[in-house]
Amino acid sequence: MALAIRFALFGCTNRPFFHIVVMEKRRAQRSGKIKEMIGSYDPMPNQDNQKLVAVDFQKLQKWLGFGAVPTKHVAELLGLGGFYPIHPMSYIKAKRKRTLMEKQVADMQAKEETQETAAIQVNEDTQPDSTEDASQ
Amino acid sequence: MAASMKCAWARCLSTILLNSTKHRCQISQPLYASCSNISGDSGEGGTDQTGQEAGLADDTKKHRRDPGKAFTDVRVQKILLRLTGLDLDKVYEYRAAKGAGVAKVALMSDQQLKKVYESASYKALRKLQMPPVLGAREPIDEVLSEDPELEGLNTSKLVFIDISQRVPLKKRTIVVREPNGTLRKASWEERDVTLQKYFPQSGRKIGLPRMFQQDNLECMLDDGKHEYILNRACSQFEIDDPEYIRVTQRTYEHIHSNGKFEDLRSTRHFGPMIFYFTYYKKIDKLLVAFLEEESLEDSVDLVKLYHIVHPSCKSAEKVASMPDPTPLEIIGAFAEMDATQKSLVQQAIQTYEKECDSTDSTQLRR
Repeated sequence: MALAIRFALFGCTNRPFFHIVVMEKRRAQRSGKIKEMIGSYDPMPNQDNQKLVAVDFQKLQKWLGFGAVPTKHVAELLGLGGFYPIHPMSYIKAKRKRTLMEKQVADMQAKEETQETAAIQVNEDTQPDSTEDASQ
Repeated sequence: MAASMKCAWARCLSTILLNSTKHRCQISQPLYASCSNISGDSGEGGTDQTGQEAGLADDTKKHRRDPGKAFTDVRVQKILLRLTGLDLDKVYEYRAAKGAGVAKVALMSDQQLKKVYESASYKALRKLQMPPVLGAREPIDEVLSEDPELEGLNTSKLVFIDISQRVPLKKRTIVVREPNGTLRKASWEERDVTLQKYFPQSGRKIGLPRMFQQDNLECMLDDGKHEYILNRACSQFEIDDPEYIRVTQRTYEHIHSNGKFEDLRSTRHFGPMIFYFTYYKKIDKLLVAFLEEESLEDSVDLVKLYHIVHPSCKSAEKVASMPDPTPLEIIGAFAEMDATQKSLVQQAIQTYEKECDSTDSTQLRR
């Protein structure tokens, strides 16, 4: 079977917490058949705006030597930590988020501009205009 | 008078133990070895050590001083231990703490009692191991990689810690990936907090305890809790932490302004306190206190310590030139040439001499 270095989701409702474990790739994570736990990842930022990742790198290297393969997301995390080169998905996700942010900012600006122009229009309509009265 | 006799006995005991073959004068090696400031080569600290023993304070140059090298000199350690003394009653004073058991009562012969007393004295010397006095640690400023293309991926920092087994705390790798994509080594503050989370040490809190905030610290000092503050600072901080240095130096200054030097006598903080005053040239009040107690050996030891830590000072040169100086001559030379409060020290010397003469004459009359 495929030996993997993967996340196992623990924690509770609305509070995820991942253990970084060595186990069979297709097994259910809470089945209890974890070969070894080699770290943890807390996806919720703490008071200092940090997400804590702990990895036992000696054990990680040992299991990599046994032929365990990290999953996509574990590989991404290790890339961000400097153990692996940065995963291409990290770059792609970052780019996607940036474009989304830029789009949101542009939308917000467009919305503000239309609101401003609408406000100016309203002001113009309410102001008594001599030419209009004259035409009527 | 009773206090000075007790002091003399305590000093006597520690000198006996120091000179015995069983005890080797060693600074707290594990503590010393774990400090990052100290390196084997004397080239660290740059160009300020030419023509002088490495690390000892140079009066003329103004480079960053490293008290650590002076503190770990064996001669300095011996003097500090002698000055600290060994008051078994104080060292083995009952402290309400976790694991403090009930005292044992045993029936022993004189010989057995002597053996137990001896082993207790050696154990007490271990309790008097001094926390080293070091310069503040240099901030960590290393960037491992810059990846601006990761900007936007995370809005929070990612902190990675290596939890491999059997790695000393100081050597554990802790890195931080910033939201802007920079991968850098964690700063000292981040390191301390993260290590405490994953490898908690007893007696430490995450973050600064409120006791060590400036106002609260002043309250504690006014209450006279110097030993407690220093003990807690030792367990909370690393000894090269700027916070530890701030707290300990403030405590020493408070003791100095109130003259309560004897509070720390026969504790492990007495040595570092004496060293602090010697290194920063503030020993006048101390010297006067020792002379008032009529402990001549302490006063001479203090001046000798000053000469070791500041070898280029004027009184050191004068004493070196004298063929066989008596203790009073050594102290007198210091008072004349290097004391900042010259008149105070000289007055104290005169008072001591008078007291000596009067006691001699009363003894003669008997």
